Amino acid sequence: MPPTTDLLQGTLDLLILQTLATGPMHGWGVAQRIQQVSRDVLQVGQGSLYPALHRLEYKGWIRADWGNSENNRKAKFYSLTVTGRKQLETELETWERLSGAVGLVLGRIPEAAS
Amino acid sequence: MMSEFWTRLRYLFTRREPDELDDELRFHLEQAIDVRVAAGMSAEEAHRQALIELGGMQRTREQCYEQRPGWWMGTVAQDVRYALRGFRRNAVFTVTVIATLAVGIGATTAVFSVVDRILFRPLPYAHDDRIVSVGLVQSLERQEFAVGGFFFDWRDNQKPFEAFASQGAMPHACDLVEANPAQLNCIHAQAGFLPLLGVSPVLGRNFLPEEDRPNGPRVALISYGLWQDHYNRDPGVLNRLIDVDGSTARIVGVLPKGFELPTLQAADVMMPLALDEGNERKSSPGSAMRAFARLRPGVSIVQAKAELEPLFVHTRDTLIPAPIRKDFHLSVRSLRDRETKDVQSAAWILLGSVFAVLLIACANVASLMMARGEARERELAVRSALGASRGRLIRQTLTEASMLSLAGAVAGIVLAEGLLMVFLRLAPTGIPFLTRAGLDVRIALFTVMLSLVCGALFGLLPALQTPRAVALAARAAKSRNRTMLRRSLVVGQIAISMVLLSGAALLVRSFQNLEGQSLGLQTQGVLSARIALPGFRYDTGQKKMEFYLRLEAALKRFPGIHAVGFSDSVPPGGWQNNERFADLAPEGKPFPEQGTGGSVVSRGVTPDYFRALNIPILRGRNFTEEDRQGSDYPVVLSRLLALRMFPGEDPLGKRIHRDRDKLWLLVVGVAENVKNGGLTEQDEPEIYFLRRSVQQDWGGRAPVGEVMSGAAPLMIVDGLVPQETVALWVRSQAAQIDPTVPVEIETLNESVSKLADRPRFETALLGFFAFCGLLMAVIGLYGVISFVATQRTQEIGVRMALGATRADILRLIAGEGVRLIVLGGVLGMAAALAAAQLLKSLLYNVGPHDPVTYAAVALLLALVALVATLIPARAAMKVEPVVALRYE
Repeated sequence: MPPTTDLLQGTLDLLILQTLATGPMHGWGVAQRIQQVSRDVLQVGQGSLYPALHRLEYKGWIRADWGNSENNRKAKFYSLTVTGRKQLETELETWERLSGAVGLVLGRIPEAAS
Repeated sequence: MMSEFWTRLRYLFTRREPDELDDELRFHLEQAIDVRVAAGMSAEEAHRQALIELGGMQRTREQCYEQRPGWWMGTVAQDVRYALRGFRRNAVFTVTVIATLAVGIGATTAVFSVVDRILFRPLPYAHDDRIVSVGLVQSLERQEFAVGGFFFDWRDNQKPFEAFASQGAMPHACDLVEANPAQLNCIHAQAGFLPLLGVSPVLGRNFLPEEDRPNGPRVALISYGLWQDHYNRDPGVLNRLIDVDGSTARIVGVLPKGFELPTLQAADVMMPLALDEGNERKSSPGSAMRAFARLRPGVSIVQAKAELEPLFVHTRDTLIPAPIRKDFHLSVRSLRDRETKDVQSAAWILLGSVFAVLLIACANVASLMMARGEARERELAVRSALGASRGRLIRQTLTEASMLSLAGAVAGIVLAEGLLMVFLRLAPTGIPFLTRAGLDVRIALFTVMLSLVCGALFGLLPALQTPRAVALAARAAKSRNRTMLRRSLVVGQIAISMVLLSGAALLVRSFQNLEGQSLGLQTQGVLSARIALPGFRYDTGQKKMEFYLRLEAALKRFPGIHAVGFSDSVPPGGWQNNERFADLAPEGKPFPEQGTGGSVVSRGVTPDYFRALNIPILRGRNFTEEDRQGSDYPVVLSRLLALRMFPGEDPLGKRIHRDRDKLWLLVVGVAENVKNGGLTEQDEPEIYFLRRSVQQDWGGRAPVGEVMSGAAPLMIVDGLVPQETVALWVRSQAAQIDPTVPVEIETLNESVSKLADRPRFETALLGFFAFCGLLMAVIGLYGVISFVATQRTQEIGVRMALGATRADILRLIAGEGVRLIVLGGVLGMAAALAAAQLLKSLLYNVGPHDPVTYAAVALLLALVALVATLIPARAAMKVEPVVALRYE
């Protein structure tokens, strides 16, 4: 097993869900999008990306359909399901609470609290 | 939540195309290449770099598969197959573990199923923990009893109970007279009796208060069994009129299935006790009964007894004649104690011993699993190096442990079923509930769980500890730790089996004493026949007497019959009639102080009694045929009684005054003592009355001068021909006089042997457990020593190369075993000496610390254990030094 903690794994799930919230996307697209949005800070390797996608699919939070990519190749597109959307909301809440708490511990007043 | 569940379920059953994932990953790769090519890289270089960035594809593939719900199920089958292969390779290990588990689980389950009702299971009444048996006890009656003379007084004035009611003194045989007649047991009970127990009829209703009065409507409740067998569970049975002993009663209800009287006696029909309250209050003593009560919540038995004390004192001082007052005591006991007090200690001992066996079994399984784990350390290390995760290794070990436990459990349950059957066959009739004992599912589960935990815990130890690299190098200090653990397990096993063995040996010795003792009478070739004359047809003593005397005369005509006697009971035990010693005084002497001298066994016999049982008349004479026709009351005393009543005098011709009815008895002879207090008790003094040929001596009611109890006579026949023939004669002759009377025939040998049933049962069981325990402890010892020997093979090689002789090696290895045996033996001996106190009540003529027994047990254990040590030690001794040096 790769040395990931629950926090990191949970975070990756959150990032994927958030990314897919903008619309259906294939695995490659998800990875690129996360990298772009985070200004190259977060790089998701396929070694963690695909297991995570499959996990979320098995949980019923995202759905996979085969379709054609922008360059007309067969690709698997993932999209958020209704439960996935709800899940994203709760995860976001949890994340905010957590980052707020961490911020307090580190002595920085989080923006959300001000 | 539900949708997630369905998704999981769907994925469990639909298999996805295996190459879908490959397609997906290939697309990812192509995209990565495209990006690089677009950035101006050569196609080849882009391909190379993208592959590097992608990393191990196979790993990703596997991880994706592992996300699949139920993925691990596939690996279980794999683990099972692997385990089975391992078991086959190591059959001795497998069989030993399964057999050990089977014995542990089987024995514990079977014994627990038996003792559960006695010790733990709630009684089948509501608030069973608050129901008590209340009444008086005295030297002749140790179970609480009550009489009408005080019962109503107590009921109205008591405070500690919220309910107080009674049943009749005893169920009695009664006849159901109808087209399909049957002999049944009838019991009387008050209207408040069933509500007190929290029992309500499954059909119909309980007695109404107005039915529980003299001359009230005649009603009856019938048992579930009677309803089922006799009335085919017909609901129309309600309000039916039945004829019981010649009078009609209306069925008003059916008792629930499994209902039992708190006295545990059988009863098919329950009728109102219908006492005349006013009359009973005034009478002394009044009708006898068994009273029960339900404590108020929060009131303890001790408190209740203290609160009843004033009532008791009043009763004692007003109702009981002053001379015998001292002999009566108040008793309040929990119902469980009343039902099972005398078997509780045996039950605890059995339970203790079987848990000891279970402990030994668990230690053995643990030890074996550890040995196997250690032997497989390298294998585990290799598997882990090949990429098996620790979780996977643990799961594999757990799979093996649970498979073994499961197999052991199945074998154990089968064994338990068998053992229970053996118990039921061996078991004496005196153990309550035994016939109804069934395998207890809860305890079976418990033992299976326990053994699973034993196996899994110790089997896991190596798997948990395996540090990948170190294990390949193997032989580290920690394995020494584990050997220490195994050694202490073996020491514990030896100690426990020492306790079991010495307990069993004590019981065996005690049983030998019991069987070997002289009873003082002849049992060989003697038959006893109990003929229960139906009371409603033989309603006078005259009719009964005529029947018995005709039968006696008819049997005496047979040439092969040597003696035909009557008595009301036969020694050495079982029910027998009693007199109070203080009730008898030699002529011219005062009665002994009441409450002193204990009781005297009394028997009403005919002259042939002494002849049939071959009891010698020491002085004077036996009863004669002329005495039977006379009107005197001749008696024969046992030697013990003669000595106590007439110390230093000649008792012959002396008269004895009986206080109770002012009768004068004439001593005509002195008979040798017989074993009459049961097999294990001291002999009691005994007085023989003559059963004369007058109707009151045969169960008739006589206003005065009733010498004997109303007990039905027991015929005793001594024949010179085979017993089967005699039995046949008795039956045919009885049938000629009245073909409807039931005849119960038993050889005296059987009845004596029955008395020894309890000790035989206890001895056999404890012996069996001790044997199992010893066997398993020896297996454990053997396992550890051979393991140590293998572990030290290299060391042995070095020693031999340096000049150690084979004898030195033998000493080296065997010494290890001897240390364990001595340590375990000493610990066990100390524990056994302490535990033996518990056995005391079961022992006969052998002290709980009998040195011979302990020496024998120690010797046996030492011998067997030494053999278990010497076998692997000899194997180690024979190792060739060259082979040993190259070992590993």
